[in-house]
Amino acid sequence: MENILEKIAYCVEFGKINKVSPYPPDMKGQDGADELTKLALEQGIPPVEILNKGFVLGMDRIGKKFSENKVFVPQMLMSAKAMSTGMQHLKPFFTSGEVVRKGKFIIGTVAGDLHDIGKNLVAMMVEGSGWEVIDLGVDVKSEKFIEHILSTKASAVALSALLTTTMVNMEKIVKDIRDQAPDVKICVGGAPVNLDFCLKIGADHYSPDPQGVVEYLNKLVA
Amino acid sequence: MKQWKDALIQGKKRVAMPIMTHPGIELTGKRVIDAVKNGELHYLAIKALADSFPTAASTIIMDLTVEAEAFGCKIIFGEHEVPAVSDRLVSDFDSVANLKIPNIQSGRVSEYLKASRLAAENIHDRPVLGGCIGPFSLAGRLFDMTEIMTAAFIEPETITLLLEKCTQFLISYAIEMKKTGINGIIMAEPAAGLLDESMCDQFSSVYVKRVVEAVQDDQFLFILHNCGNTGHLTQSMINTGAFGLHFGNKIDIIQVLKEVPPEILVMGNLDPVSVFKMATTKEMNLLTNQLLAATEEYPNFVLSSGCDTPPGVPVDNIIVFFETIEKFNKNKLLKNSLTY
Repeated sequence: MENILEKIAYCVEFGKINKVSPYPPDMKGQDGADELTKLALEQGIPPVEILNKGFVLGMDRIGKKFSENKVFVPQMLMSAKAMSTGMQHLKPFFTSGEVVRKGKFIIGTVAGDLHDIGKNLVAMMVEGSGWEVIDLGVDVKSEKFIEHILSTKASAVALSALLTTTMVNMEKIVKDIRDQAPDVKICVGGAPVNLDFCLKIGADHYSPDPQGVVEYLNKLVA
Repeated sequence: MKQWKDALIQGKKRVAMPIMTHPGIELTGKRVIDAVKNGELHYLAIKALADSFPTAASTIIMDLTVEAEAFGCKIIFGEHEVPAVSDRLVSDFDSVANLKIPNIQSGRVSEYLKASRLAAENIHDRPVLGGCIGPFSLAGRLFDMTEIMTAAFIEPETITLLLEKCTQFLISYAIEMKKTGINGIIMAEPAAGLLDESMCDQFSSVYVKRVVEAVQDDQFLFILHNCGNTGHLTQSMINTGAFGLHFGNKIDIIQVLKEVPPEILVMGNLDPVSVFKMATTKEMNLLTNQLLAATEEYPNFVLSSGCDTPPGVPVDNIIVFFETIEKFNKNKLLKNSLTY
């Protein structure tokens, strides 16, 4: 059992999606996260074990490498793609309640900004760490964030911006969320954002990479 | 322009060239949407800035949608926001193969060329620098930025073909810009900052180099801006052959100055938002002074913002920024005269 879970973790870490994917070149023709997850379920391995010892472990490893600048966005996205492909096989167990996730997390790119790469990375990493992610997409206004925070009772929300011209919209959104949902934790991120800016606009958390968001969220439920 | 660059490096004064066109738009009482759609209003914003502040060079709006729109992307315009690409245009090899390289007058390209021409004709006390997007950043807008990152691994031949088409267009655009009489170009290639060094070489720098080689000469300066580089791509940027490199606020600029050959201009990198827009004038003065002091021993450094400054930057901060530099230069001159 440990062997197949380690193989899943390895596929996630190195972005091996499935057998036909040519990436990484040294795993060409081998099973990927897709086939191995199916096989693990057929072997009767509990889905929660596959989640924690396969996907979460693999995403944790790649996340740490990303934080240390050992890999970059394309490698992270390949890992996330491998993880989400394998995760498709676990969806029925999330729906049935057999696998309970750590909490609900909302994410969106702020109003005026249509860039989604940073948001997607964080969403995939957080999902890969065992959270239920509600992705509101891009160009998200305060009202939409608040509506979903209230209806899902999410523990945390993340605002993303890529542009220096749109990150300033975060300030209003943070204020609006605080007014309507004072208990929800607010994370901010994106290429031009920094801790100083986070503190200035009254958000709870900033990290320069997705792994920092995962670590922050995990502390909330520890 | 080689003379201008060399004069900056040999000169005793520190100069500044923040990338700021929004304050110019605000000075003319216009909206962003007016300036990005009308070359004449765009030029008037550039001129207003040149008349108000002692920038080392005038710059065109850093609008990273013009080229994608020329290819056929749908663009969303906000009254006071920079435009954005709304949907991907191509998604696989066949759609990329069928993609036509647009005519140089397509979309708003002609308005940007008009702004460049008017600026070149009417601003005589400093160089005028045009602007364009980088090949990988353009390809990412056409293919979708998230998707291109993984497609580079899974279907590199598709991305290579797309980059080839983007580069051919950018070369034509750069040549047209040069014909307007401007003195150089700032190419913004932020998406390449998300790549590792070997990918940046393969999917960005080799293509940037081709644009550089098509237009850069002693009269025409090429500056490559990559605000996503956190230090891992400096050599890749140097490899493009650009005479100027412009860096974002996330990078250690001193480390950059140690790595970049002294004959290449290094520009950066005060945070356009937390400093230019949000800092108090006192903080602006302090942070400008800190950067000036830290970079004092590097003659090839040009003080700048780390990226385009957003709308709503307080004019007082810009004034303080330039006053701080002026005072720094006066003190330096005084110090030097006392030394002799």
